Amino acid sequence: MGIHSVGTSDAALVRRVQTGDTGAYADLVGRYRDRLGRYALHMLGNREDAEEVLQDAFVRAYRSLARCDDPERFGAWLYGILVNRCRTAGARASRRARRFVHDPAALETAPQAGPDGRTEWDDTVRWALARLPPESREAFLLKHVEELEYEDMARLTGAGISALKMRVKRAREQLQTMLKEAERV
Amino acid sequence: MFDPVDDLIERIARHLRRPVQIDPALDARVMREITALPTPGGTAPLGKAWRWLRRPRQFTLTPLGGLAAVAAVAVVVLFSRMPSTPPAPGQIDSRAFQFILVAPRATHVSLVGDFNDWDATRTPMRRIGSDAPWTAVVPLVPGRYHYAFFVDGSRWLADPSAPVARDDDYGEPSSVLTVGGGS
Repeated sequence: MGIHSVGTSDAALVRRVQTGDTGAYADLVGRYRDRLGRYALHMLGNREDAEEVLQDAFVRAYRSLARCDDPERFGAWLYGILVNRCRTAGARASRRARRFVHDPAALETAPQAGPDGRTEWDDTVRWALARLPPESREAFLLKHVEELEYEDMARLTGAGISALKMRVKRAREQLQTMLKEAERV
Repeated sequence: MFDPVDDLIERIARHLRRPVQIDPALDARVMREITALPTPGGTAPLGKAWRWLRRPRQFTLTPLGGLAAVAAVAVVVLFSRMPSTPPAPGQIDSRAFQFILVAPRATHVSLVGDFNDWDATRTPMRRIGSDAPWTAVVPLVPGRYHYAFFVDGSRWLADPSAPVARDDDYGEPSSVLTVGGGS
């Protein structure tokens, strides 16, 4: 699995938490915060939602720590919780969007926010990623950004390896099409 | 050989792999929340035994092996009662399986699955005290079952230590229990 730790092992920290050393959990949060936050941010496309989901995942993981059967694989286990929370949050955001967006065409042509340090390429990638179906976006990020093996992805997502390969393939094709479109504009 | 598609995807992936900085104040928010919670795993009276119990999910029921598996559950889970009535004729191959969920904050939990048509009213789970795990005993014949826990009338919960149902894409979460047959 592409989740590694340095220094004190995850297992040692997990055991310390389980014996009442809450401070050890701060080390685990610090260790995984940015890495998991990156996934949540790319998956949800919104920093506020990503941080909310990330916080929720850390708290849920703490509550369920007794059920982490293999503390050596804490990172992978935590990742699984985050992937599920992102799915739930994504579905909720999608329902919210359907409820409030009355004129998608107007929104699409609305002027972009002013320059905030992001490059045009950055905006294009975000735009394309956001247009992928959630399951394709999830598979693409896990494969190409988090660089997980398909076996690990299957364990995290509960989807079969063939389905995941298909989702990644579709995501690649869709991204290619969208970025070519964007280049023409 | 140079492939423009691979090159484009690699450019995107490289861009997305750049480190992202999350608000460091998130750590403090998490720690504030968890300080109010009980120590995970520290208070459960049967800590390791529960984890051991919850780990295996693949059962092969030869007559003796099946009895041993059921007996092991009964021995460790001293509080729970195994069914006292003998199996009905025609159900001679079924064995009792105990499902356990640790959810101290829940007020009502039902076990739902293929074996009860996902009917939340048919298998309510019980616990013997507010800190005890929720349990339910279900007789099962060999086969493959999807199941989940239905918590407080609104939340579906897959068993976090069991295999996830792989053909359950984006539906409610569920787990898989395979009860093997024996001669």
